[in-house]
Amino acid sequence: MAQNPQQLPSKEASLFRHVVQNYETKQYKKGLKAAEQILRKHPNHGDTQAMKALILMSQGKADEAFDLCKLALKNAMKSHICWHVYGLLYRQQKNYEEAIKAYRFALRLEPDNVQIQRDLALLQMQMRDYTGYVQSRRQMLQQRPGFRQNWTALAIGLHLSGDLAGAEDVLHRYEETLRQTPPKSDIEHAEAVLYKNTIMAEMGDHERALEHLDSVRKSALDRTAVMEMRAEYLLQLDRTDEAEKAYTKLLKRNAERRDYYEGLEKARGLDRSKKEDQEKLGQLYHSCAQQSERIDAARRIPLDFKHGDEFRQHADKYLRRMFQKGVPSTFANVKQLYSDQEKKETICALVQGYLGEEPQTNGDVDQVSSGTTNGSIKPPMPDAATTWKLGVNYFLAQHYDYHLSRDLAKAQQYIDAAIAVNPSPSDYTYHMTRARIIKHMGDVVKASEAMNNAREMDLKDRYINTKCAKYQLRNDQNADAINTMGMFTRKEAVGGPLGDLLDMQCVWFITEDGESYYRQGKLALAMKRFQALYDIFEVWQEDQFDFHSFSLRKGMVRAYVDMLRWEDRLQEHPFFTRAALSAIRIYCLLHDRPDIGKSGGHLNGNDSESAADKKKAAKKAKREAEKAEQERKAQAAKKSQPQKAEDGEQKKEDQDPEGQEAFKIAAEKPLDEAMKYLHPLLELSPRNVDAQVAGFEIYLRRRKYLPALKCHLATLALQPEHPKVFEQSSRLRLALEQLAEPLPQKAQQVVEETFLSRVAGSKSIEAAVEEYFQQHKTSLAHVQAVVRVRQALRPSDADQKAKSVQDLSDALKADGTSLKDALDGLTLLQEMQISVEAREKYVSVAREQWPVATVFQRR
Amino acid sequence: MDIRLLRPSDIPQIQQTNITNLPENYFCKYYMYHALSWPQLSYVAVDVSRPKKSPYDAPKVVGYVLAKMEEDPQDGVQHGHITSLSVMRTHRRLGLAEKLMRQSQRAMYETYSAQYVSLHVRVSNVAARSLYEVTLGFKNNGTEAGYYADGEDAFSMRKDLDYLREEALEEESEEEGEGSVGRDEGGEVGSAGRAGEGAERLRKVRVGRQLGVGDLVERSG
Ligand SMILES: CC(C)(COP(=O)(O)OP(=O)(O)OC[C@H]1O[C@@H](n2cnc3c(N)ncnc32)[C@H](O)[C@@H]1OP(=O)(O)O)[C@@H](O)C(=O)NCCC(=O)NCCS
Repeated sequence: MAQNPQQLPSKEASLFRHVVQNYETKQYKKGLKAAEQILRKHPNHGDTQAMKALILMSQGKADEAFDLCKLALKNAMKSHICWHVYGLLYRQQKNYEEAIKAYRFALRLEPDNVQIQRDLALLQMQMRDYTGYVQSRRQMLQQRPGFRQNWTALAIGLHLSGDLAGAEDVLHRYEETLRQTPPKSDIEHAEAVLYKNTIMAEMGDHERALEHLDSVRKSALDRTAVMEMRAEYLLQLDRTDEAEKAYTKLLKRNAERRDYYEGLEKARGLDRSKKEDQEKLGQLYHSCAQQSERIDAARRIPLDFKHGDEFRQHADKYLRRMFQKGVPSTFANVKQLYSDQEKKETICALVQGYLGEEPQTNGDVDQVSSGTTNGSIKPPMPDAATTWKLGVNYFLAQHYDYHLSRDLAKAQQYIDAAIAVNPSPSDYTYHMTRARIIKHMGDVVKASEAMNNAREMDLKDRYINTKCAKYQLRNDQNADAINTMGMFTRKEAVGGPLGDLLDMQCVWFITEDGESYYRQGKLALAMKRFQALYDIFEVWQEDQFDFHSFSLRKGMVRAYVDMLRWEDRLQEHPFFTRAALSAIRIYCLLHDRPDIGKSGGHLNGNDSESAADKKKAAKKAKREAEKAEQERKAQAAKKSQPQKAEDGEQKKEDQDPEGQEAFKIAAEKPLDEAMKYLHPLLELSPRNVDAQVAGFEIYLRRRKYLPALKCHLATLALQPEHPKVFEQSSRLRLALEQLAEPLPQKAQQVVEETFLSRVAGSKSIEAAVEEYFQQHKTSLAHVQAVVRVRQALRPSDADQKAKSVQDLSDALKADGTSLKDALDGLTLLQEMQISVEAREKYVSVAREQWPVATVFQRR
Repeated sequence: MDIRLLRPSDIPQIQQTNITNLPENYFCKYYMYHALSWPQLSYVAVDVSRPKKSPYDAPKVVGYVLAKMEEDPQDGVQHGHITSLSVMRTHRRLGLAEKLMRQSQRAMYETYSAQYVSLHVRVSNVAARSLYEVTLGFKNNGTEAGYYADGEDAFSMRKDLDYLREEALEEESEEEGEGSVGRDEGGEVGSAGRAGEGAERLRKVRVGRQLGVGDLVERSG
């Protein structure tokens, strides 16, 4: 950092330089010592105070750091160092707007300071302020045009801001400044050249892109990328002969890349939907498959486009080959075909036929390799007959377990047959599927036991360990699950197995754990998990920050741009959506039932218990909470010496392991809190119908009628038959009819035009709902919608409730009702706070349909 | 199944596959570090035959190989390293691991002129050892006692990538009308730098999330 106005004598000035150095090399203790030494003589030296603040911040003392830095600024308003540090502190706190402001101040005082410019640019990228970024980068380039990084960075800024031509121009001008062509081994250069080429292609100018690519092909180091780009351009340009060659070459390198096959088909002008192309397609894939025994794609893809007899023949060959080899993933590889009824039946018939066969031992399958090269490594293969029998029975078990061809009794029969012939005491594959079938029957207790049995067959295998933990969570054995996971987590992790899983961002566990707590009515813990997941996504968002500088140094620009684009849509990921939807459900519940928030987030599954029971339960809960609190304090006291992480930052013990504190806060304003989950859903996953449904629920409760309407219309457009469409339109109508004061005129007009005039019709809601019921009485999901509307109309009408219970129970019996719908029905009844008898009425019907399902057992 | 290059957007799924299959786990940033340092080397196997559940389904990653170049090779020879490899149980024995490895190896050779690729494997890991030794032709280079966190020993294995030179030449000579140009291999050839190989022990990856990218480097020593 450069000169400062508050001059220090030379001894202290040199000490100050040490402080800076110490900070940069993370020698915080030394740095602090030196800073304090200066401050003893010059207590008001702003820059030193600022540096000290920066070090304090790195040690996690944020409050102290900010106080000191403010003091520093008071002492040295005109010091760019102080302002720079002020910005850095904000940046640490992820308050990017304030950080940018502070940097700008610093730059005004020291316009050419590269370090500050750089830090500013980093934040602008993080914030996707492309205009600002381009501006900063232009300045930096002007100052130091000798660095390639400065050119590439500007090009990236222009590219992302949409100025493709500008980006290309910058890259081109840099190349012109080079006096000689960089050596072939200069990977950074090779990469920049390919980056330029992708920009040309993005502009749609494939002609020029191809020409350019051909001119740099020889020196390019990323050969796969070059070949792929070239093939694609040729195809775009309709140079089909060359494109065909290009794709053929690519397939020689990677015969499992689906894009290449697609490219090849296109180059040949073949169309899967055309009958006359069938034969040529068949030949094409046949010749691809001939290239090697080990290729799967070329053998599998024809199953997608072949039909009828052709399909039967091909499937027969394909399946036999797999069963002879003993590939356990065969079903996973073909189940996609089941959306075609005819193919599903053909496959089933074929495999049923194999049951009675003994395999031929020869065949073109590489059964022979076992034990040839290194006998000690390869375990002996089972004999051909066993391999065959095992594979066929296993396939059929999966077939009858799959939701499109489900017959769980048969599935069980086949899996038992497979288990009977399984020669390996450690191959748990079949036991695992057995557990899965039991789960599908709804018996989560037995399923969990069965999966644990499978786990015990191979204790060193984490995959089955994972499965077992998952099944334990499905059975709400949260403590068992964490113990199971603990067999593979790092022993030294702070916070035990859960601490490690959080550290390692084990999304699936956190989500399943949260959902389990939600099922049990332990809302505080559930919310805590969903919050943890939200935080993981925040971390992932933040993770990109370091790469804004790292990637420019490394020069891997295409990967960097790809990463930025991914980060832009990070929360679109289904991992986020799933947790967000669950969290939103809890917030809605908290809004509807404020009593839950006050009771510490314990929602008892059965609301119909007697008042005395309730009291007893409340007392017990209180006692438990007190006990837990005491234990926690004892634990905390024991661990008053917090463990030190390797890098000096201290990993803190979780002060609120039950999530009670956070829950109290959230319960005060549940709908506000919900917005942080809802915003990303609606912004990034608008075509997800569940996101729109959730949006409606939140906005209606917030009395934001236009946004609610927007969500409703989106749901309607996405899935007109979705049961929520009717339910929501009725509830919205009702809400509008009951408005305390009319909507503003403009809003009213929108509502009239887009909604009331179209959906509402002339019928009353009461009439409409019963008519809808008549039309949909055999669909449990739709009947639930009906019941919800009825509840909205007359929440405390006992007769109506009784009718609803009856209607739901009747719908349960209909064909094709899923276990999930049945469960949702039960949840709805609980929300309606019906009597024990009424509940039993529904449950007894459900029990007939799912005799072993745990939730429907007598309690 | 589709075998293709790893993209940053695959990382959440890869992370999930890793933590499902193996006890050696990493946070997201460490995957990013691989994907943004050597974007050509890591591959994924994606199950393309899964029926879609929503318009935003993430590609279902059922296998991956996470690979890198050794940054400061002790022996001075450019070489690649396999950081992690795994395939979901439901998709094993389809040849996925083998194919993932082969793609990665070629990229190491083509992009970085790697002379060999190295890796560690648990001595008890029959499936993986068979894959490496029998199918892929790795050679066992010695045992590292207590390499893994639970105390198990590792075999340190490596495979020469020389064979790719011939493949490359063949590929190029096939290109009609274009004079074939041999690759510029740089100075070292073959086994020149192999003698100096010492027992390397990787420091365990650190866990603080606030670490800079530079801190993520596995260092020997
Ligand atoms: C090791 C692992 C990656 C192999 O994945 P895979 O996709 O099933 O392997 P492939 O189908 O490509 O197998 C190729 C060859 O490896 C060998 N092999 C693979 N699994 C084997 C097993 N269980 N037993 C014996 N040999 C095996 C075979 O020679 C096989 O060829 P073949 O099927 O023609 O006989 C997988 O078992 C796995 O993920 N295990 C858990 C994680 C792990 O151990 N990773 C390695 C850490 S170093």
